[in-house]
Amino acid sequence: MKEAIIIENKALGADYFLISLKWALAPKVRPGQFVMLRVTGSMDPLLRRPFSVYNTDGDTVELLYKVVGKGTTILSSLNPGDDVDLLGPLGKGFSIPGGMLGKSRLLMVAGGVGIAPFYHLGRSIKDSDCDNLLIYGARTKRDTVVVKPFKDIGVKIKIATEDGSRGTKGLVTGLLESEMHCGDIVYACGPSLMLKAVAEMAEDKGVRCLVSLERAMACGIGVCLGCALRTVSHRPGRVLKDDRTYQMVCSDGPVFDSRDVDWDKI
Amino acid sequence: MKKTEKAKAIAKKPSTGIVLGKGSRALRLSSPVMTASGTFGYGLEFSPYMKLEKLGAICVKGLSLRPREGNPPPRTVETPCGMLNAIGLQNVGVDVFIDSKLPKLRKYKTKVIANIFGETASEYAELAKRLDDAKGVHALEINISCPNVKKGGMAFGTDPKEAARVVRAVRAVTGKHVMTKLSPNVTDIRVMARAVEDAGSDSISLINTLTGMAIDINKRRPVLTTKIGGLSGPAIKPVALRMVWEAAGVVKIPVVGIGGIVTAEDAIEFLLAGASAVQVGTANFLTPNASEKVADGIAAYMKKHNIGSVRKLVGALN
Repeated sequence: MKEAIIIENKALGADYFLISLKWALAPKVRPGQFVMLRVTGSMDPLLRRPFSVYNTDGDTVELLYKVVGKGTTILSSLNPGDDVDLLGPLGKGFSIPGGMLGKSRLLMVAGGVGIAPFYHLGRSIKDSDCDNLLIYGARTKRDTVVVKPFKDIGVKIKIATEDGSRGTKGLVTGLLESEMHCGDIVYACGPSLMLKAVAEMAEDKGVRCLVSLERAMACGIGVCLGCALRTVSHRPGRVLKDDRTYQMVCSDGPVFDSRDVDWDKI
Repeated sequence: MKKTEKAKAIAKKPSTGIVLGKGSRALRLSSPVMTASGTFGYGLEFSPYMKLEKLGAICVKGLSLRPREGNPPPRTVETPCGMLNAIGLQNVGVDVFIDSKLPKLRKYKTKVIANIFGETASEYAELAKRLDDAKGVHALEINISCPNVKKGGMAFGTDPKEAARVVRAVRAVTGKHVMTKLSPNVTDIRVMARAVEDAGSDSISLINTLTGMAIDINKRRPVLTTKIGGLSGPAIKPVALRMVWEAAGVVKIPVVGIGGIVTAEDAIEFLLAGASAVQVGTANFLTPNASEKVADGIAAYMKKHNIGSVRKLVGALN
């Protein structure tokens, strides 16, 4: 863990914020990894909060977050110059299955604040000849807070809003019906029910799908065993009665192959 | 440096060493700071973040005879200045621990305490037997206080006769130091402390988590699938401190203080209340090197106040 100094903590509207931090470990972050943030010295809230990394640039790390509770409310009130404690980078992040880069189209599917890790992923493939498309689902136009940055790095983007105030009306899955094609590789991040729907569609179409899951975590390093996820077992000898096993979202994930997740108990 | 100056410098460095228990079962610790079972994995997970050698001992995640998968999620929920957990003793099982975790742990110069959990007294004894031969296990901590399992666990820890039965069963089959971890979910902790002392425990550690609950008011359901979980963190420190003070007042065996320790100041409170050593728990989740900082902070406090030996702090209330 290392101290990080806030450079900017910018309100983007609709309770979204983009925080930039000076952090010595920023260059080590790979796309899809996360950090555990703690407001220095805080006993209430007690635990760190996990955040996907939105971007890194030299020794700067950027996190996109939405104010949802006690921790993020405090975070949103902090100012440039204030310090926070960052633990990370953590988790396994996005991997691109061997040989698929350049051959497959990268189809990114984001719901709400689940868009955060895709900017970093998008930047990492910027100079490759990898074709890409980002499907971005949000509640309303106001919630589509980071569209331009993606366009600026050459990520193609299609938007779905629930009220139709921007892009197609409806959920991301509506857009996906016509956009998911054989040979794509899908990366999805967002609410659990969205991920379940995306995973089912990918399975029907025979498309490889990786999902980045969000869970409340205490430690982030695989020791508290709090963020257990039921998965289809691949490990002999350590299985639940019904051939399922627990993996930890923090240390075994947060990115999982969608076929490994027990979606009935998500 | 002249010899005399060197000797003086050594003499000035405060001694953080402490010995728990007597004779062949004495547990010699280089620091009074240990890590609490269930908050420190098998120790190895923390080596990237801190020097494990700074610790007096590591208490590993509770071990059962067979691997346990633990409870269905959600397993944790944050509460004011604390957290509830209902992990359900997920662990690799004693055999995997001995074969694959222990050899790696042996490389670190710190004592290893194996926390054991059974559903019956004979299961505890079987675990103790298997660990008695294990090289690199320096003590056993009997977990009779886990609130998150259906059988065994806290049932042994809330009845003095049952607790004593488990301690006797373990005592009979091991030559290693036996520490018994007490549950705070009792009317009088002194009764439990005396019962396990009489049954042959070499030391006691307390407190395990306090049972608690959190409710999701939108779903109108308990947050944890087990409904009830164990409360830990700074929220429980005053209760833990009181219980350590009470227990230390009635037993002759050493007491190990646990409960909400985050800083060296917290740990020193426990030492003054009568604990000979402490365990850092939930703080390991907040800061992976929390235990190291507590150990360093105690040494700094001793130096500042010119206290030559940590033993002089134990029970030293004015």
